Amino acid sequence: MSEKDSDAEITLRLGAAAGDGIQSAGEMIMKVLSRSGMHVTTYNGNQSLIRGGHVWFHVHASTKKIYSLGYGIDFLIPLTQLSYDQHFEKLNQGGAVIYDPVAVKIHDLDPKVMQISVPLADIALKYDKRPIMKNTVALGSLCAAIGVDINVLSKAIQDQFGRKEPAVAENNIKAAMDGYEMVKKQTRPLKNIQYNYSVRRPAMTADYALALGAVAAGCRFYAAYPMSPASPIVHWMASHAKKLGITVFLGEDEISVMNATIGASYAGARAMCATSGGGFALMQEAIGEAAMTETPVVVVDVMRAGPSTGLPTKTSQGDLNMMLGISQDDFPRVILAPRNPEESFYTAPRAFNLAERYQVPVIILLDFAIGDGGYSTVDNLNFAFEIDRGKLLSTPPPAYTNGYWFKRFAITDDNISPRSIPGTPDMMFVAKTDEHDEWGHDLSDVLAGLKEYLPIRRRMHEKRMKKLEEIKKEMKLPEIYGPSGADISIITWGSSSNAVREALHELHKKGVSVNSFEFSDIYPMQEDEVRKILSTAGIMVDVEVNYSAQFAKLLKREAGVEINNFFLKYDGEPIYPEEVEKHILATRKEVHAIA
Amino acid sequence: MALKLSDVRTDLFNDWCPGCGDFGIEASLQMALTELGIDINRVVLFSGIGCHGKIVHWTNTFGIHTLHGRTLAFAQGAKLANPELEVVALGGDGDGYGIGAGHFVHAGRRNIDMTYIVHNNGVYGLTKGQASPTQRLGEQTKSLPQPNINNGINPIILALSAGYTFIARSYAFNTRHLKETIKKAIAHKGLALVDVLQPCPTYNDIETKAWYDGEDRRDASGRAVPRVYDVNMKGHDPLVSKEMDEDQVDKKIQHVFRLSKEWGDQIPIGIFYQEIGTPTFEDRISARIPSYLQNPPAKQIPPGTTKSTVELEKLSSELTVQANNV
Repeated sequence: MSEKDSDAEITLRLGAAAGDGIQSAGEMIMKVLSRSGMHVTTYNGNQSLIRGGHVWFHVHASTKKIYSLGYGIDFLIPLTQLSYDQHFEKLNQGGAVIYDPVAVKIHDLDPKVMQISVPLADIALKYDKRPIMKNTVALGSLCAAIGVDINVLSKAIQDQFGRKEPAVAENNIKAAMDGYEMVKKQTRPLKNIQYNYSVRRPAMTADYALALGAVAAGCRFYAAYPMSPASPIVHWMASHAKKLGITVFLGEDEISVMNATIGASYAGARAMCATSGGGFALMQEAIGEAAMTETPVVVVDVMRAGPSTGLPTKTSQGDLNMMLGISQDDFPRVILAPRNPEESFYTAPRAFNLAERYQVPVIILLDFAIGDGGYSTVDNLNFAFEIDRGKLLSTPPPAYTNGYWFKRFAITDDNISPRSIPGTPDMMFVAKTDEHDEWGHDLSDVLAGLKEYLPIRRRMHEKRMKKLEEIKKEMKLPEIYGPSGADISIITWGSSSNAVREALHELHKKGVSVNSFEFSDIYPMQEDEVRKILSTAGIMVDVEVNYSAQFAKLLKREAGVEINNFFLKYDGEPIYPEEVEKHILATRKEVHAIA
Repeated sequence: MALKLSDVRTDLFNDWCPGCGDFGIEASLQMALTELGIDINRVVLFSGIGCHGKIVHWTNTFGIHTLHGRTLAFAQGAKLANPELEVVALGGDGDGYGIGAGHFVHAGRRNIDMTYIVHNNGVYGLTKGQASPTQRLGEQTKSLPQPNINNGINPIILALSAGYTFIARSYAFNTRHLKETIKKAIAHKGLALVDVLQPCPTYNDIETKAWYDGEDRRDASGRAVPRVYDVNMKGHDPLVSKEMDEDQVDKKIQHVFRLSKEWGDQIPIGIFYQEIGTPTFEDRISARIPSYLQNPPAKQIPPGTTKSTVELEKLSSELTVQANNV
């Protein structure tokens, strides 16, 4: 820890059993820090159960803007022995473990980690018959150890329990105060951070940010079937449905969800649905339908570790191949992978505009680590963004009507046809999942295969596929961090970017010549530009959260760029900066050895 | 100006087999739309995959030929996005009671104000005559190498248990009855099922037109005695209202159950069951979002909108970086 800006950074971890209230305790300490001027990113290490097991809540706070989980653990609060056993090895020197000696036996601890013993359960029992407030006592103790104003915690407790009877918040505040005083007597603050209490930052998960961005972009129809880690989106939509006029459709399965979403879009609404990989697998046929009928639609996949049911509460970036191969035969699609909650917010309006401008399905890839499992603080969000409904018309251009029928699938210079919605006079059309002509009339029955209709099939297929060429021009190129011309270049995408960017700081301090290329627009790829940009890269190292380097393979397929060095993680946990650092240091060693 | 049948009929080439029951359903639907005088710009037909699906091309309304089995899911999304649309969903028996059975059941729970017409001919026609979910156990239609090993489902009872508030059956070649049934189904406030018995002249050589018409059974004067009879003409009152007590409702349901089992010599058609006063899904949304019907999802962001329309900042003070008030 001594090598870092230790006074500007805090990492802390609470550990307990599910049902001990670790999630709400974690959120409270997150608020304490985000309301003290800090930038915060968290990770919720939970399991697929409601009570018992082992869960933890990790918090990384910094005076600089961060999205990663930071280095190691400065402060560990294990409420159970298992929590200590699982995490103590990650404690940083100069940090502390705050524990109740009745519940936790300290062993094998680095002598440079302070032991702060607090009778958490005994204090909690002063305020309730059961020791459920022990996590609040621990939070109070923690505030003393990190030197933050206890009043900020009191306010966070008030917010957390404000809806319950007043005694609940009052007792929790007293319990926190007792913990605070007890630690204050034992030690001076271990952190000397200049907290800025005049700034409080909002914190949100990418699921939440995406829902917010989608509704701001005009999404008024949202469909879902419950599936972790996408469910927070439907929870948000349902609880804001009344205020914001959102129709929420809880389908009987993801098949109905996807079809209803396309139906709503066909009828004229901005419509979205979300799921995780297993649910997405069921949606695929309908996504082909959206592409064939040229109905705009936004679909979110919050990835979790698979295959099959996999690890429902753990993270992965393993669904990229599925997105590239959705449904039968070729059709255009857009794949976007925002890296953090703030970017998710701004990705939603982009996704809707792309979907409507090009009349294609747009897929947003999030993952558990940022989607449901982690908060990040965001800057002020700008809600004044552009809405572009593309070629959605209310009166038909003369060239596209024969009086009452509308040439909905007209071939145009840019391969995008004018579009109407049901109910619009003189713009009647039939949308069709079979191949069709410019009017939407069937090509699959009596006309299929006839020589005069072969060119029409070809042209309609080309019309859909060629939209990709136009979409490409709107795709963002990778963001580059670090010096140009570095010896080593990290190639990464989506949420893996967060750990990579944090690792760069430490690597640069160690004098490593390394930069990074973060991709958030995944497909279609501007292959020529990407190839050109990556031609400046050093030895490329691909960093992603799946077994088979799915993004690296896409880069090879699209841009012909070949990567031979990989850091791939697939144990269900997100990437931590130190893992990237270690891999890059090893890579440098190999390179030097060869040189 | 009153609609004419020619207004709702397109001049596209129709490729159904000669004698197909689909012709009767198409004509009845088009006559029903004509007689109801609905603004045809507001009508949307949704079809699935199967012979029935082509009906959307031959009817002069907005239409969408969706995926196999997904008609109801798609149509419900569209109707909820714009409840002003007059939604008529069409499916086949394989499409609606087989691959789409999940949607069929769950649509009943919602009771969205729309009509679902199922073309029920006992076979998968477009794929050359495999046994459909309504074909009875032991029957052996033309394409089957062995008699059907599955039992047939009972769409009437399935719909009743799922919560459909209008359940009717008609016969494709009794276009007068079918037209009137479709009109009542469209007029019904809530989800209406019209199961239409339909000969498949190519693959169903058991339930043929001649069989339904009773050509094999002659009365004393030599006239065919049709198997199909109208239950409502025979005194069956389908109405169930909120004023009825539990016993009366139970009796009605028992009678519907018995009627739904009749097959063979006597095949009932007509309205089996109609529930009045059950809130539609649109009613339920309106109870939560009072502006829903005036300002549904499809109308909130009209074509040409260029700016975000919701001031979400006001949603929560948590959304902005601000001075701490601790």
